[in-house]
Amino acid sequence: MTMDVCLYGSLAQYGGEAAQSFYAQLSPTVPPGTTMRDLLASLGIPLEEKGITFLNAVLTDMPGLHADLDLVLQDGDHIGLFSRTYMWPYQYRFGAKISPELEKALKQRQGGGLHHSYAAGK
Amino acid sequence: MGKILRVNMTDLTAKYEDVPEKYAMWGGRGFTSAVTFNEVLPTCHPLGPLNKLVIAPGWVSGTAAPTSGRTSFGGKSPLTGTIKESNAGGLASQKIARLGLKGIIVEGLPKEPGKWWTLKITKDGATFLPADDIAGKGMYEVCKILGEKHGKVAIIGIGPAGEMKLTNAGICVNDTENTAGRYAGRGGLGAVMGSKGLKAIVIDDTGGPGVPIANKELFDQGRKKMADSSRQHAITKKDGALNAYGTAVLVNILNEAGGFPTRNFTSGRFELAAQISGEAINAGVKERGGEGRVGHPCHPGCIIQCSNIWPKPDGSFHVSVQEYESVWALGADCGIGNLDDTGDLIWLCNDIGLDTIEAGNTIAIAMEGGLLQFGDAAGAKKLLAEVRTGSPLGRIIGNGGAFTARALGVTRVPAVKGQCMPAYEPRAVKGIGIVYATSTMGADHTSGYTIAPELLSVGGKVDPFAVSKADLARAFLATTAFLDASGYCLFNAFHILDIPSGMEGMVESAAGVLGTNWKVEDITKIGMEILKMERAFNEAAGFTKADDRLPDFMTYEKLPPHNTVFDVPEAELDKVYG
Repeated sequence: MTMDVCLYGSLAQYGGEAAQSFYAQLSPTVPPGTTMRDLLASLGIPLEEKGITFLNAVLTDMPGLHADLDLVLQDGDHIGLFSRTYMWPYQYRFGAKISPELEKALKQRQGGGLHHSYAAGK
Repeated sequence: MGKILRVNMTDLTAKYEDVPEKYAMWGGRGFTSAVTFNEVLPTCHPLGPLNKLVIAPGWVSGTAAPTSGRTSFGGKSPLTGTIKESNAGGLASQKIARLGLKGIIVEGLPKEPGKWWTLKITKDGATFLPADDIAGKGMYEVCKILGEKHGKVAIIGIGPAGEMKLTNAGICVNDTENTAGRYAGRGGLGAVMGSKGLKAIVIDDTGGPGVPIANKELFDQGRKKMADSSRQHAITKKDGALNAYGTAVLVNILNEAGGFPTRNFTSGRFELAAQISGEAINAGVKERGGEGRVGHPCHPGCIIQCSNIWPKPDGSFHVSVQEYESVWALGADCGIGNLDDTGDLIWLCNDIGLDTIEAGNTIAIAMEGGLLQFGDAAGAKKLLAEVRTGSPLGRIIGNGGAFTARALGVTRVPAVKGQCMPAYEPRAVKGIGIVYATSTMGADHTSGYTIAPELLSVGGKVDPFAVSKADLARAFLATTAFLDASGYCLFNAFHILDIPSGMEGMVESAAGVLGTNWKVEDITKIGMEILKMERAFNEAAGFTKADDRLPDFMTYEKLPPHNTVFDVPEAELDKVYG
């Protein structure tokens, strides 16, 4: 199956021939049953570099939470992967669509996800 | 405690007054809203003799507090008919404050229509200078002429749009390079300034008394906490998200979320978003070099430095600043995906004196109305340039999105209380829709920017998923009103929300200046006092809860890619102030 993947910021370096300096859009072919973790591995992206992530316009991860690694991808899925430096302030995402897995991960955090920064250890 | 400078444009007098008790505790938006609430008839015509233009630095502006150079402008808005506060960076705030001024109140209409004035304020007083040398000119030339004449001064001015009293006219403040890069854009306050025959204000703070600080120890403790907090947070530190990519760091994020309004709010995703993103700005600046710059401060003392200078291909100055709202409004919303085109359009807005958010929305509405095609960058530039000529079409465009939609029979009008929306789609990000609907200013993304500390993680008990959206929105609106009164740039919200000592620092530095005993627990109460004055003004001006609504098309037109409508119940919207 074929994915539609966008890599932003420093992750663009993993985009191979499709990479501009700040952005890459690629269409990798992967076997059925591929998870987010598998996709990252196939692209050579280290987990610690993965930040805000979207699957078909649904927010599935914030920096450092890794809430979406076991999601099984489907043919034609659009995945947007951002490096760790990106932000999405709470005031501009409250009420946005997020995955059940990420919602669960946020609820376990102090403040339940109201914060702006998701750097490790906070 | 400082003085108020009261300027009468009818008899050309300016007098200093002691600050009355009712204004003594206020700065910034608190001051402009308190004066408008107390002194302006809510039902008045915004461009008539009864409206006033109120200008105020924040509590800590002009001190050593970091990132605190915001100037608030207020009055009754000719665009929305509501009370209005719009603030800008640039040089003005610190210089006004250091002259010992708590605020400037401009009143009256000129006896001689068509005669323009420059008000010059120094430590020795205020003088009225004929503005024949700058009348009719764009703001880039105005800054140059006034800079050559008066030296290193702060300049507040209006372009031709303000002179024509168009309701999308903003008020410009010069930046650190003395170009026309900073705008209190929203709500048409440039037209109010124009109605008073005031083309520009020049402020020279040489020899000024400085800002009186009641409790120096508390102030110093607070400002240091603010600076430390700002410097250590991932978003606001050097080479952090804002410093490297500017506010346009949000372009790709909102686009991926399906919440990046495109082609007059008909889609939440723009296929060329990456080409107008903060990353593209950063890459373009590095590639072209020359005068191009990221990590640019819009005022001295800013330690976040989210601004940029976009260079032409040969490296020479093109425009400052390509920021999120502007590249969205004049880019994605018009189907335009090229930074040199958005740069030209932003330059035109800055020069003519228009708010970029409203101008982009207006062009998009004109595109939908058939005046030109989506994506037609050359046509968009021609249309904006038309505003300068004062032609009937130019005047329609210069009056903003809702006015243009009416002229063209367009019904998809993304506005609340007559003010067009910024770059966050309420059908994809529902919380911002509540803020747009219930802000006292019309659709405004800066009204709900940070949140009360009692809702934060104290004890880890708060679950934002369990709090009603109305309660969250109210907390956002009130805390933001406090921040807008402080003079601190709104982007401090990012670090103080995450770092408790930063939030304390904001309150302590303000309390130190004023000599109050405020604690972080007081933020919401003080912010609510500002909102109450604003709500009371709006109610007396005839606004009801029926005005606290999003445009109806958002409740029945499904927005791709999520294919959702705005479905927050009206009862929930009414609970915000309920």
